[in-house]
Amino acid sequence: MASYATTAPAEQGSWVQEKIFLGMSLREYLKSLWTPFNIVAAAILVLGLPLFVYRFYAGLGATTNLSQTQPWGLWIGFDMMTGIALAAGGFTIGAAVEIFGLEDYHAIERPAILTGFLGYVVAIVGLIADLGKPWNMVGIFSQNGTQSVLFEVAWCVCCYTSVLALEFAVPFFEWLGWERFYRPLKKILLALTVLSVMFSTMHQSALGSLFIIAPGKLHPLWYSQSMFLFFFVSAVIAGISMVIVESAISHKVFASQFRGHHVDADKLTIGLGKAGAVVMFAYFFLKLQGAIDNHAVEYIGQGFYGKWWLVEMLGFVLLPSVLYAWGARNGRATVVRVGGVIAVTGIILNRVNISIVAYNWDQPNHYVPSWIEIWVSLTLVTAGVLAFRWIVNRMPVLHELDESPHGTH
Amino acid sequence: MSGHDFLSGYSAKILEYALAVGYLALFVGFWQYVQGGGKRSRPQPRAERAPAAGWFGLPADVALHPGHTWARMLGDGTVAVGLDDLGHRLVGPVDRVVLPRPGEAVEQGAAAVRLDAAGKSVKLVSPVDGEVVAYNAALPSQGAPVEPYGDGWLFKVRPSNWRRSRAQLIEGQAARDWVEEQARLLEARLARQPAGALLQDGGAPIHGIAREIDPEHWDDLARQFFRTEEA
Repeated sequence: MASYATTAPAEQGSWVQEKIFLGMSLREYLKSLWTPFNIVAAAILVLGLPLFVYRFYAGLGATTNLSQTQPWGLWIGFDMMTGIALAAGGFTIGAAVEIFGLEDYHAIERPAILTGFLGYVVAIVGLIADLGKPWNMVGIFSQNGTQSVLFEVAWCVCCYTSVLALEFAVPFFEWLGWERFYRPLKKILLALTVLSVMFSTMHQSALGSLFIIAPGKLHPLWYSQSMFLFFFVSAVIAGISMVIVESAISHKVFASQFRGHHVDADKLTIGLGKAGAVVMFAYFFLKLQGAIDNHAVEYIGQGFYGKWWLVEMLGFVLLPSVLYAWGARNGRATVVRVGGVIAVTGIILNRVNISIVAYNWDQPNHYVPSWIEIWVSLTLVTAGVLAFRWIVNRMPVLHELDESPHGTH
Repeated sequence: MSGHDFLSGYSAKILEYALAVGYLALFVGFWQYVQGGGKRSRPQPRAERAPAAGWFGLPADVALHPGHTWARMLGDGTVAVGLDDLGHRLVGPVDRVVLPRPGEAVEQGAAAVRLDAAGKSVKLVSPVDGEVVAYNAALPSQGAPVEPYGDGWLFKVRPSNWRRSRAQLIEGQAARDWVEEQARLLEARLARQPAGALLQDGGAPIHGIAREIDPEHWDDLARQFFRTEEA
């Protein structure tokens, strides 16, 4: 029998060339960056990053449409509230795999954790932009503010971001080949997951509590004494839906990353769809219960806010729930993915409705974000997407690395 | 509850209780609807796959790679590797097998073997990472019956990390489900081929389906089933 010559290993380049430039020379790498997506992203960043700096130079008054009546705008409503909700996939999938033993979902645990980590980082940068004196943030470490919801939110953000950073450190150190660091972290992954569930539960619900302490400012259809519960349940929906959407995109964009690794994406999507359908169905009724409890039933369908609430509830909660259920029952992953996109949009809509649209709803001058606020938000999202792509193209996120510290990428 | 609508509390409570009861009643139906799909759809393919299940047997102690190669941990710490039943039936009698030599490293998901049959050639991927320690010099001669999971083994590997390699393989019920799904895929694929009449009578697929298909379609089939475009 003759020997079959397998492909000869490629010549090893320098560390930077291998790890950063994906094995290409600098010239080849720069050439590879010339794509329509990158050009649009660069255009957003070229204007957005100086605007971000300008906000600190000129102040909030000059760059935003925030006021004493409306101290929270797009950077809180969208970047913070939505970013945190959509980052919930990290603890949702982490808990499913590490705590409940649903090993099938192991393949999507790392991307979910990475999305969670980047979501939190983007939210924190948005928060820094929004705070009048962001350097005063360090105060939470020295002051005893246990009566304050913001105190809880701030501590949860700090703790959970640290836990996410530690969870993400596993693929990061694997990428660097630093076995001494990632092996112990892998061993305490279960403990980290328990912490992540605890901090997330507290944090997601605390964001809802922030609005409980503002009765009268929020439209009665959105306001409820149970908002902490609504925020937590909808965060679970956001986590599940975001993982569905993200894994669909990842399988298309990063197909080469799945080489040699059998991941039945459709099966996982359908499983997630089942969970999403049930949670959303329950959430729909919880929200109805909240409206009744708040004596706001007569507002349903009345005026702009009554109709807008119905759009959110029927179009972005009940509809994706039905799509999830139908898709899961009939084994149609595409339908589940469509439901996922609608559900993610629904979560964004819900957070923006609560913190912007339906907030100060009875005030004569309603807040509309300035173009700088919109552009900075766009910049943060773009930066998050670029960071995700940069990391996934290099680090073992969509697949686990070989035991050898010098794995390919 | 705020002060001005204190009396409306009673009607609100009635609504709340009614909603809670209504929700629970609807939830039971919704839950059954969501979960029921799986149960209902399972017997259906079983009925369909009854012949397919017989075509492609699978011993309990082998783990499958999606590229239709199998791996079996042996008592001496080495792993035997071979081509699964469906793969054998697809290729049929082999004219020439090109195997890796002892000492060579094989990588999971990368090409390790080449089979030449009827003027066509197909690469097979290795299901495990490791170093080749032996190859099957006693492969049955051309035309002789081959037991895919027995004397048809191709080579043995000392795995670099069996636990990690195994995590990427399919075993147990999942493997049997997967084989049946692949059999259905093949059936559907053959139905579209000029030679589709092969299986329409419900009989077992012939040994060497590849030979019945023209070269263009054979390439398609190889890409789909052996994942050679990834190797």
